[in-house]
Amino acid sequence: MPVAPTAAERFIQGILPENPVYRQLLGLCPTLAVTNGLKAAMTMAGAVAFVLFCANIVTSVIRHLLKPHLRIVIFTLIIATFVTITDRFLAAYMYDMSKTLGPYIPLIIVNCIIICRCEVCASRQSIVTAGADALGQAGGFGLALASIAAVREILGTGLLFGVQILPATWPNWVVMILPPGAFMTLGLLLGAVNWIELRRSERADKKRG
Amino acid sequence: MHYLTDIILIALGAALINNFVLYYFVGICPFIGVSRRIDMALGMGFAVTFVISIAALLSWTITTFILAPGAPVSKWVAGFFVSPEAAAQVDLTILSYVVYIFAIASSVQFVEMYVRKFYPSLYRSFGVFLPLITTNCAILFACLIIFSRIVGVDNPADAWDIGRALTLAAFGGVGFTIAITIMAGIREELELCDIPKPLRGAGITLIVASVLAMAFMGFTGVDSGLRKVLAPAAVESAQSAEK
Amino acid sequence: MKPLTPMDPMARSTLERLKNNYIIQAWLVLMLALFFGASLAGVHLRLGPKIEENKANETRHRIPEIILGYPGAEEFAREGKSLAIKAHTISVEKQGREVFYGVYEARDLDGKLAGWVAKSAGQGYADKIELLIGFSPSAETITGIFILDQKETPGLGNKIITVDWRQQFANIRTIEPIEVTKTGAKDPRQIDAITGATISSRSVTQIVNVTVKDLRDPLAALAKKEKDN
Repeated sequence: MPVAPTAAERFIQGILPENPVYRQLLGLCPTLAVTNGLKAAMTMAGAVAFVLFCANIVTSVIRHLLKPHLRIVIFTLIIATFVTITDRFLAAYMYDMSKTLGPYIPLIIVNCIIICRCEVCASRQSIVTAGADALGQAGGFGLALASIAAVREILGTGLLFGVQILPATWPNWVVMILPPGAFMTLGLLLGAVNWIELRRSERADKKRG
Repeated sequence: MHYLTDIILIALGAALINNFVLYYFVGICPFIGVSRRIDMALGMGFAVTFVISIAALLSWTITTFILAPGAPVSKWVAGFFVSPEAAAQVDLTILSYVVYIFAIASSVQFVEMYVRKFYPSLYRSFGVFLPLITTNCAILFACLIIFSRIVGVDNPADAWDIGRALTLAAFGGVGFTIAITIMAGIREELELCDIPKPLRGAGITLIVASVLAMAFMGFTGVDSGLRKVLAPAAVESAQSAEK
Repeated sequence: MKPLTPMDPMARSTLERLKNNYIIQAWLVLMLALFFGASLAGVHLRLGPKIEENKANETRHRIPEIILGYPGAEEFAREGKSLAIKAHTISVEKQGREVFYGVYEARDLDGKLAGWVAKSAGQGYADKIELLIGFSPSAETITGIFILDQKETPGLGNKIITVDWRQQFANIRTIEPIEVTKTGAKDPRQIDAITGATISSRSVTQIVNVTVKDLRDPLAALAKKEKDN
């Protein structure tokens, strides 16, 4: 790009146009694993947001000291440290959530979103831009998780965040809480987002020509 | 005999019943990205199995001897600085995630160098996937399971030994290979189908994966049934109590 | 005549420059590693005790309701009373192997033994089931069970965690093993299986029976020893 995108642009890009799950197909492992319920999904989104934000800020601070061949090592070190801090924090203050999320919090270390943002954005941009980018991507990730978790939880248990939404006579579609439901929901929602995107670009093409 | 039963059940569990991709949702990115052709899928599967075994070996060794509370090496080193009672309480588990990810990254590097130097034909078939494997959730996940079976048990005598750890890792990789190869076979057939545009690529892969996951759910309970067959003595004494 | 090309005088210092470069970069990695290592150690010191407390409380908070039952535990809490809990490890020899059970001894504020709670685990339908079993002071009856961890089928085997199903285990005598029936429990030592989750129900019952068989005598002996003291 001839002119680097501003912080605000980075923030907005991250939420829908460059949504990490629906558009970039990154970070699918936690997306499928923790979207059983909205509460777990939001906790994971919060954890990823914290790690992404801190990692982006720290990377941006030391970006001038980074040399090509050691930068992945340094990114990994930063991310692993913040993930450990997040994991311990959850175990101390939200013990039940920590047990539900289980091994998926440490798996944030290998979550492609964070390494990708550090590499693409934080290591080249100022602190403010990097922070805005992190918040935007985290917002997009949270949005994706929330959409999938809402569908799965409502159809699978009739509850949303523990509150009864559907009438009690709803026969719980237990398959939605199980692995097949996860894959199916993500696949169909991805198809929906792609369809919206196709329509939007078709309309833009028609307007242009 | 008890040990062999355990190994068989862990292997079956990791490969089929609790399949890494279709039950635990790890390794999804290569599962969707690399499953277009069967030969690529097989190559990726072999690479993952290889690296996961080495990483499990490394992480078991490091956890048992350095990281776990009261581990031999850290106890010995700390013994130089503090009293023996305090040295026995040294607990380095806080560093486990950092150590694991570096162990995985370095094992991937070494495997790549080794294979490129000594097995060039092998490198041509699956070496190109090796750098991608560092961010493969499956490897770190296997290390985390091993960690929880060493450090997370109430009774130190139940902590996993190297055999169980390697079995879990290797057969987890085998399960990943099975899942990705089946998916590749299906996708090769799907190329001839007329898939709606929004669903092409990742969308249809995920929907097929959901059907695959449903199929693999049929394996639930196989291990508890096998346990009854393979270890009848222990179960009999409990069942006679049940009658 | 071919002109002499002098040897490049920069070669040596380029090498040195490269070496210096690596050292500088390694320096950055080492500094970061030390800094992060120190912060992780700080986090461990600060949060470690809280996490241990959480882990222990997970079991301890359940003990009143397992021993006294829900209404009893609620009344207990309302009256502001609490149980003093002490942890023991009982080892039982089975088929040449030693098996360890974690057992909690609960005394009320007068020092009287209120009951025992044993932690046990076993194979369920899908994965391991961990549970707590409450015993009366003399280990002659089961006072209740609580499922700590399970991965049974949601909607079916999952129902083993519901209070209604677990209530069946209260006040069963330990002298005989418990039976699972599908057709409606008639005997005091029978319990109903969950419809559609026979194997999960049987697994839990089996774990309870095995634990009861192992711990009945040691607990009774411990209770007698306490009484004699």
